[in-house]
Amino acid sequence: MEITRQELDDKRLSRRLLSPSLCIILLVVVFPLLFAFFLSFQQAEPRAGGIDMRFVGLDNYIYFLKSSDLFWPSVRVTIYFTIVSLAIELVLGIAMALVLNNEFPGRAFVRALILIPWAVPTVVNARMWEWIYAGSQYGALNGLMKVLRILPPDVNKVWLGFDVPFQGVPILEPFMRWMGVTRALHMIIIADTWKVTPLVVLLVLAGLQTIPESLYEAATVDGAGFWRKLTHITLPLLRPVLLVVLVLRTMELFRVFDIIYIIMQYSIRVLGILTYEIGMKFLQFGRGAALSFLIALFILGLAAIYIRLFYTEEAL
Amino acid sequence: MDYAGYGGLLMKTSKMRNKARIMQRLRQIGLAVAVIAIVVWTLAPITWLAISSITPYIELISDRMTHWFPENPTLANFKVMFDLSKQTGQRFVYALRNSLIISSCVTIICLVAGTLAAYALARLPVRRKKELVLSLMSIRMLPTITLVIPFFVITSHIDYALMNIGSEFHLFDTKFNLIILYTTFILGFVIWIMMGFFLSIPSELEEAARIDGCTRLQALFRVILPLSAPGLVATGILAFLLAWDEFLLALIFTRSNNAITLPLFIAELGSQYITAYDQISAAGVMAAIPPVVLALLFQRFIVQGLTAGSVKG
Repeated sequence: MEITRQELDDKRLSRRLLSPSLCIILLVVVFPLLFAFFLSFQQAEPRAGGIDMRFVGLDNYIYFLKSSDLFWPSVRVTIYFTIVSLAIELVLGIAMALVLNNEFPGRAFVRALILIPWAVPTVVNARMWEWIYAGSQYGALNGLMKVLRILPPDVNKVWLGFDVPFQGVPILEPFMRWMGVTRALHMIIIADTWKVTPLVVLLVLAGLQTIPESLYEAATVDGAGFWRKLTHITLPLLRPVLLVVLVLRTMELFRVFDIIYIIMQYSIRVLGILTYEIGMKFLQFGRGAALSFLIALFILGLAAIYIRLFYTEEAL
Repeated sequence: MDYAGYGGLLMKTSKMRNKARIMQRLRQIGLAVAVIAIVVWTLAPITWLAISSITPYIELISDRMTHWFPENPTLANFKVMFDLSKQTGQRFVYALRNSLIISSCVTIICLVAGTLAAYALARLPVRRKKELVLSLMSIRMLPTITLVIPFFVITSHIDYALMNIGSEFHLFDTKFNLIILYTTFILGFVIWIMMGFFLSIPSELEEAARIDGCTRLQALFRVILPLSAPGLVATGILAFLLAWDEFLLALIFTRSNNAITLPLFIAELGSQYITAYDQISAAGVMAAIPPVVLALLFQRFIVQGLTAGSVKG
C-alpha cells in the first residue's frame, strides 16, 4: 500500500514538474512546427491584414526538387561548406587538443585562453573577420601577407571576392565551379573555424582524460610510435566524443546562416540563406516552409547515418 | 676488457645518451612552437579588433604594411557609442539594455522551468520518457529557420487581431516577443544539460534525505539543487550566452530601439558606402566583453557543462 501511494505521489509530482516546460514547448515549438508543416502544402503569400492561402499539395516540395534552379546549387555549396569546415575543425581540434594535453608551464592559462574565440558572439566574429579580410591596402590580412612577403607590396587581394579557387588546375577547377565554391566561401570557412574549434578542442580534451595512461605505456613498451598510438589507441577510444562532435557540428554547419548573411548577404546561397530569402524576403511562406522541412530532413538523415556508422554500446 | 674497448663502450653509451637528450630537447622545442602557434592563432584576430577599437578612423584606413598600432590611441570610438545626443549612441545604449534584459529573462525562465523538468526526467517515473527525451533532442537539431516562418505568420496574425480590437499591446518589435521566441531553442538545451548533471549525482544521497523525513520536493531543494550548483551556474551561463548571441530572430522580429539587440546593432553598423570599422570594432569589443569575461571566470564550470551536455548525453 505504502509503495503504491509513493509511486502515485511521484507520478503526480513529475507531471507537475514537467508541465511548465511542456506547456512552453507545445505552445512555441510544437504548434508552430505543425503550422509550418501545414503551410508547406499551401501557396501562402501575405496580403493586407492576413495571408492568402491555397492548397497546392506537394507542389512546393516538387518545385525545389525539380524546377527551381537555385535549390541544387544551394545543396552543393552547403555540402561543400559543411564537409570542408568539419574536416578542418576535426583535424585542427584534435591536433590542438593533443598539444594541450601535454605538460608545459602555463598549461591552465593557455587552456583558458582557447575559450575566448568560442565566447565571442557570432556577429562580432563575422564583422571582425570582414574587417581583417578588407580588400584594400588597409586590410589586416593583406598587410600581413605583404609583411611576410607572400604578396608583393603593391598588390591588394580581394579576399571576399568571387573568383573560383584552383584556377587552371584541370579537374579541380571545374569541380569547384560546379560546387559553387568561391574564395569568399573559403575565407568564411576559416572565420567560422576560428570560433568553433575551441569547442572541439574542449570536448576532445575531455575525451582524452578518459583514456588510461597505462595503454600508452604498454604501447611504448611494444615499440609503437606516435602515429600508431594515435591511430590504434587515441582515435578509436575517442570515438564516442568524435560522434558527438560530428553530429553537433554537422547540424550547425548545415543550417549555417548568421556568419554568411552578415558578411555576404545573399551572395553565397547556402540552404539557410536561400530559405530566408524565399520565406522572409520574397514572403513566399509556403515555399519557405517546404524548404526548411527539406533542410530538417537532411539533418535528421545525416544524424541517423552517423549514429549507424559510429554507434557502439558506450557511445550513446 | 682492454682499455680501448671499454672507452669505446663508454663513448657509445654517452653518444646514445646525447641522442636521447637531443630528442628530448627537440620534443620540448616542438611543443613550445605548437603552443605558441595555438596562442597566436587564438589571440591575433581578437587583438586586432581591440587595437582597431582604440584607433582613430583616419589611421584605420592607412596602409597596413607600415601602420599597425595607433599613433594617437583614442577612446573616441567608445564615446560615440554612449553619446545619447546622436542616433548611433542612442541605438547602442538601447541595444545593450535590451540585450541584457532579454538574455537575463530568458535565462531565468529556462533555468526555472528547465531544471524542474530535468529533475523529473532524471529521477521520477515519466510516461513515455524515452520518446520525450528523443523529441527534445530532435528539437535541438531543428534549424531555427524552420520555426521562423510560422513564427512570423502567427505573430503578424496575432498583432492584426490585437490591432482590430484596438489593443495598445502588440508582439512585433517587442522584447516580450523575443523572450518567448528565444525560449524555444534554449529551454530544450537547458533541460538536456541539467538532466546530465542530475544523473551524475548519486541517488543514494537523495534516498538518505528521504529516510531522514524529507519529501521529494524538500530533497530536491535541500540536497540535490545545492549539490548541482556548479551545474546550474554553467547551464545559466550557457543559456545567457546563447541568448546574447542570437541574430536571426532579432533580425526578423525587431526594428526600433524598443527591441533591437546588440547583435543586430552591430550587424547594421556601416553600410554599402561607409565602412564604419572604428564603430564596429568598439561596439564589437563591448559586445564580446560580457561573454568572454563570463567564460574566463567560470571556465571550469562551463567546460563541465559543455561536456556533461554532450559527452555524457
